[in-house]
Amino acid sequence: MTIPRRDLFHIRPRRQEFDAIVVGSGMSGGWAAKELTELGANVLVLEAGPMIVPERDYAEHLPTYEMPYRGWNDRKAVAAEQPVQGECYACDEVGRRFFVNDIENPYTTDPDKPFLWIRGRQVGGRSIMWARQCYRLSDLDFEANAREGYGVDWPIRYADLAPWYDHVEAFVGISGRAEGLARVPDGVFLPPMQMSCVEEHVAGAIASSYGGERVMTIGRTAVLTRDHRGRRACHYCGPCHRGCRTRSYFSSLNATLPAAETTGRLTLRPNSVVAEVIWDARAGRATGVRVIDAESHDELEFHARTVFLGASALESARILLNSKSADFPDGLANSSGVLGRYLMDHTMGVGARATFPGWEDRTTRGRRPNGIYIPRFRNVTEPSPDFLRGYGYQGSAVRTGWGRGISMPGFGADFKSDLLRPGPWSFGISGFGECLPREENHVALDPDQVDAWGIPTLRISCAWSDNERLMMRDAAEQAAEMLEAGGGRDITIDTEMTPPGLTIHEMGTARMGRDPATSVLNAHNQAWDVPNLFVVDGAAMTSSACQNPSLTYMAFAARASHYAVWAARRGEI
Amino acid sequence: MKRRQAIGVLGGVASAPVLMPFDELKRMVAWRERVRASAAPPGASEATIAQAASLLTPPRARAMEALAEVIVPATDTPGASEAGVTEFVAALVDGWLDNDDRDRFLAGLDTVDPECRERFGSPFAECIPGDQAAFVRGLDEELTRLREDPAADESQHFFHDIKRFALTAYFTSEAGLAALGYRTTFRTFEGCAPLTPAEAGR
Repeated sequence: MTIPRRDLFHIRPRRQEFDAIVVGSGMSGGWAAKELTELGANVLVLEAGPMIVPERDYAEHLPTYEMPYRGWNDRKAVAAEQPVQGECYACDEVGRRFFVNDIENPYTTDPDKPFLWIRGRQVGGRSIMWARQCYRLSDLDFEANAREGYGVDWPIRYADLAPWYDHVEAFVGISGRAEGLARVPDGVFLPPMQMSCVEEHVAGAIASSYGGERVMTIGRTAVLTRDHRGRRACHYCGPCHRGCRTRSYFSSLNATLPAAETTGRLTLRPNSVVAEVIWDARAGRATGVRVIDAESHDELEFHARTVFLGASALESARILLNSKSADFPDGLANSSGVLGRYLMDHTMGVGARATFPGWEDRTTRGRRPNGIYIPRFRNVTEPSPDFLRGYGYQGSAVRTGWGRGISMPGFGADFKSDLLRPGPWSFGISGFGECLPREENHVALDPDQVDAWGIPTLRISCAWSDNERLMMRDAAEQAAEMLEAGGGRDITIDTEMTPPGLTIHEMGTARMGRDPATSVLNAHNQAWDVPNLFVVDGAAMTSSACQNPSLTYMAFAARASHYAVWAARRGEI
Repeated sequence: MKRRQAIGVLGGVASAPVLMPFDELKRMVAWRERVRASAAPPGASEATIAQAASLLTPPRARAMEALAEVIVPATDTPGASEAGVTEFVAALVDGWLDNDDRDRFLAGLDTVDPECRERFGSPFAECIPGDQAAFVRGLDEELTRLREDPAADESQHFFHDIKRFALTAYFTSEAGLAALGYRTTFRTFEGCAPLTPAEAGR
């Protein structure tokens, strides 16, 4: 099988009018582009950052000895240009080119409320560096707000989204194992990756210790375990976040954008920073977008019958907040006043780690781009007294490497030969918890600051609440308990939550709902106030669940695209 | 031993490929915190990276290379010296370490040759192997004492830097990766494979 060389997108001369403009070329925008073009629409995709050409820009196999700092990163450059982005593990010596320059892209926070906004502006967006975990939401999640009276009710249920999960999974290619758990429904899976010896062992111990209430499964990941739709099976080199020339993991650049390009109906314009959506008061519609060219700083306008925002939860909210008119003085589609509010992320940083004696004659072979997953078990069958909702764990057990030598006594030939052999097995698991939708967690335009393109920046106000803190206290205790049940020794616990934002699951700033007075979008990601405007990224989320959210964004983007084409054909938009 | 809480890396380590030992990652995060705390206003520091002669002067480079070779000696595979340790340490000294950390490291390194002259009559690089080993053993034992003292921070001792620089230079070099049997690609992932003879140390 040959690798399709679809890396160069044809950039046609500007049309006067498109059927649809899609703002953003990442996870969500890529899906909107694919579905809309395949359904016959002429689509303009606008991406704020530059073109990425895999054969030129991906560097996943660059050996450490060819890096000036041997993988320790150019820390002074990071401190000067990317002090926020550098907090993300993937912003490393090779991968940092896929993260924004924080000086060109400033934002502000309340002094006592740090929020780390991790961004990627290039064709492919953050789908190039994402961690690829894919889990379906279930009715435990879609019914949670209504059941507990917290936030507003989702306007859909699992049955509405399930066919769209099927649809996107079949194209994405997700390896995983069916477990028959209603709370994280099974999907369309490629063969699962193997667990390591110690993971298998602890999975068995958890199954017998908790009577089936808790389950450890192999992570469900958008990495191919066999060839799939012209993309090659994974070769287990390790650093996916630096790109993948065999397109073995899913990204918009690796899969949806090439599919859209083959229709002949895609126009992709990189270096196009969208400042606002243009509102036509007489027609009562959006007519296009105003763009600042990232290189020339020229101001341009593009027009279309429909506008899709997939610029990320915070960027899409920022564009709408900045789209002010007499009809919408507080931002387009914001008659409810909830635009920018109910910002959520998932909690992270809390978990436990242990050493596992034994299996000394065994090791893992290959660098698995995936870990294990322990789906949520709190507030599933019995209510927890301390907190609402729940959390899942991710982690992995591998043998430690030579780096252990840095904190070990010793030197010389025996020391060297010891470090050339694999060290003890170490198993770390970390909890990812649901965040409640709270009105006070919000973004607004900063009246005093603009970015490098003259666009007002965001002022972000977001903090964890007691519910998240109590949940993570439990997550630390239960992590240690499960590792101990599996026979772990020297257990250490991490109890400090990372600041919101760093999990890079920010969402909820233009939520869906059943009532135009309390939500921005209806059940089809369509703005209540602007019928030909759709928001198809994480902004649409009504609650956060605790599952990694990209798969859900993809399903929503595909579903909304089909709805829009259907509504346009019926003359409704 | 003082250890900062890991911030931000657990999730990344958990869901990302294991590229680096966990402890090393934790340490890198701690350093990044420190560099952020001490960084000049954004945009100001690039120009300060001098392109002039390295602060790892020839005498310092000789001492550093010889110390690294004692920590990771040539055996049936090359040692730290052949793996290019001085080139890596020069890059760190000139463009990576904060000024405070750099000065502390260089001040520590600068004590090595005078002390060896006093004890053994020669700079470290020219001492006989037995004297070199005795000297390094002394430093390593000092480090171990600090590690076991809850009130101390062994990462402030210059030998901690010598050791992590030497180990990293070697194990990330072409020779080190070859000795580890490092491969870039794999046909499949095996979760419970038997060790190769090299890994088993046979």
